[in-house]
Amino acid sequence: MSLEKMLATYEFEQWLYEEAKFLDDIDFDGWFNMLHPAISYQMPVRVNKEGIERPDYSLDMFAFDDDIELLKIRVDRLKTDYAWAEIPPSRTRRSVNNVRLIEYVPNEKAVVHSYLTIYRSRSTDIHHDLISGERQDEFTFVDGEWKLSKRVFIVDQTTLNTRNLAIFV
Amino acid sequence: MIKTNINLEEMSQKEAIEYLIESVRPEEGSIPASLLGDPKIYDIEHKKVFLKTWLFIGHESEIPNKNDFITRDVAGYSVILTRGADGEIRGLYNMCTHRGMKLCRADAGNKSSFTCPYHGFNFKNNGDCVGVPLQKDIYGEGFDKSGLGLHKVRIETYKGLIFGTWNDEAESLEDFLGDFKWYLDILVGRAEMEVVGPPQRFIIQSNWKIGADNFVGDSYHTMVTHGSIVKLGMVPSATYSKKGYQIHTSHGHGLNLGTPNPDFAFPEELKDEYKSNLTEEQFDVLSNLKNMIGNIFPNLSFLISHTKVKGQLISNTSVRLWRPVGVDKMEVITWFLVEKNASLDWKKRSRESFILTFSPSGIFEQDDTEVFTDITAAATGTMPLVKQLTFNYTMGLHRQPVGDFVGPGVVFDDKFTEANQRNFYRYWLDLMTT
Repeated sequence: MSLEKMLATYEFEQWLYEEAKFLDDIDFDGWFNMLHPAISYQMPVRVNKEGIERPDYSLDMFAFDDDIELLKIRVDRLKTDYAWAEIPPSRTRRSVNNVRLIEYVPNEKAVVHSYLTIYRSRSTDIHHDLISGERQDEFTFVDGEWKLSKRVFIVDQTTLNTRNLAIFV
Repeated sequence: MIKTNINLEEMSQKEAIEYLIESVRPEEGSIPASLLGDPKIYDIEHKKVFLKTWLFIGHESEIPNKNDFITRDVAGYSVILTRGADGEIRGLYNMCTHRGMKLCRADAGNKSSFTCPYHGFNFKNNGDCVGVPLQKDIYGEGFDKSGLGLHKVRIETYKGLIFGTWNDEAESLEDFLGDFKWYLDILVGRAEMEVVGPPQRFIIQSNWKIGADNFVGDSYHTMVTHGSIVKLGMVPSATYSKKGYQIHTSHGHGLNLGTPNPDFAFPEELKDEYKSNLTEEQFDVLSNLKNMIGNIFPNLSFLISHTKVKGQLISNTSVRLWRPVGVDKMEVITWFLVEKNASLDWKKRSRESFILTFSPSGIFEQDDTEVFTDITAAATGTMPLVKQLTFNYTMGLHRQPVGDFVGPGVVFDDKFTEANQRNFYRYWLDLMTT
């Protein structure tokens, strides 16, 4: 690996850590600033296929299929006094690892894949939810900063074992 | 006299049923909390409700071609739902008749036969056993495979909705749905409908009846639980959910029609198709529809929702199964349906509004799940039973149904009543005590 790619990998790792911190701290405005206005944010439904037939996720049904406007609706909703699903907010801990730089054009675009594990604890419930999967991200360089312009989250369950996705992946 | 020291666990099934007859009083608007949390009741429910009635399995558009199949659950048992080479839809118990191994582990696919992973017995998708490895050598010349066909689940369909039952004595699906078909025509018979993609699945720590109760008759909660949607301007006002009709028919089925609607909630260009599939009265209801929320007994809920997304009005149609996996746990399975002949733009926006509002990430759905979970927790265990905690279902008991509505059933002229829940629990009780 070239030094340039090592540095870029480090840079995106730090970017993903910062994003995780914003989301875990429920700082939606901070998170929003990291997104590109033309973002596509998708979480396809995972399916059980016979054998190793791929892809083993749906190309036409999603748990999230958002652009920036829809993401803003979700965030605005969470800020109202009626968003019961997150009152009080879940305690989440996002661990990002196995970060791989797939494509890299300095100061222009990058494709980064990473693994994500979300620990979620609600209220006084002693049980926790675990949501795990792979993020396939694309970044665009705008005004000296990398912005997330595409995310596909490939979740590891075909039946999600969490009561809702009032949180972001 | 109600017993004061109740312990269902130690009761025989007969005694438990007697307790239900004494304590469940839908006509008086009194429903014990323990119906949502007692394991004994859950066990009886499995035998008396889920093994007796018709249960939703899927939609015909999910298996459009010969040899297409999907695997689904019918009352806790895996079923391969397949369209044979003859075009007929069959439900096969997903169990090898030789030693009981599960034949197929994929959610969907296209296959004309299924081979058991244990000993390699092979079954055609009409259920016939067509291959036994080394048959002549190990079973002898006279071996007859014809008795080894896969077990079948009884299948019937209505307007593309596929139902199954393990009860060979059950009345026909047509009779089971009865007058409710008039409304299902509007839901799924108004045009050629197709399911888009696989269903979404997620787990809620909730008794399944809370979901059915919520959809069959609870428009009242919309004002508060879904208050955030009003704040966002996606629906007109907090009291919009009161306007319209609440309707129920026999067999515990019920729905809520939100009307009127100044806008046509469906693709304008399909009006001719709607008119050709519906009666004039049904088309009139469709034209004024703001939303439609209901439940086919026991656990198939449905929804047409018309909201404003990104400044544009759009409707979406979905059905959802509250599949019990335990007394305090259910798998929610949701299917999104759309008019096959709608424009690509409509299909895209309709799916978008479905995902935004009524999927696991749906901003309506997610607030409901919080409520369902907490109700279940509160109803669980011995205390609600011993203390005989009951829920109040008396809303609208003083009201008389209207006589001049165009559709069948018992109709109330606004949605804030609990007549549908009383009707749901009446039929539930009838089945439980039969």
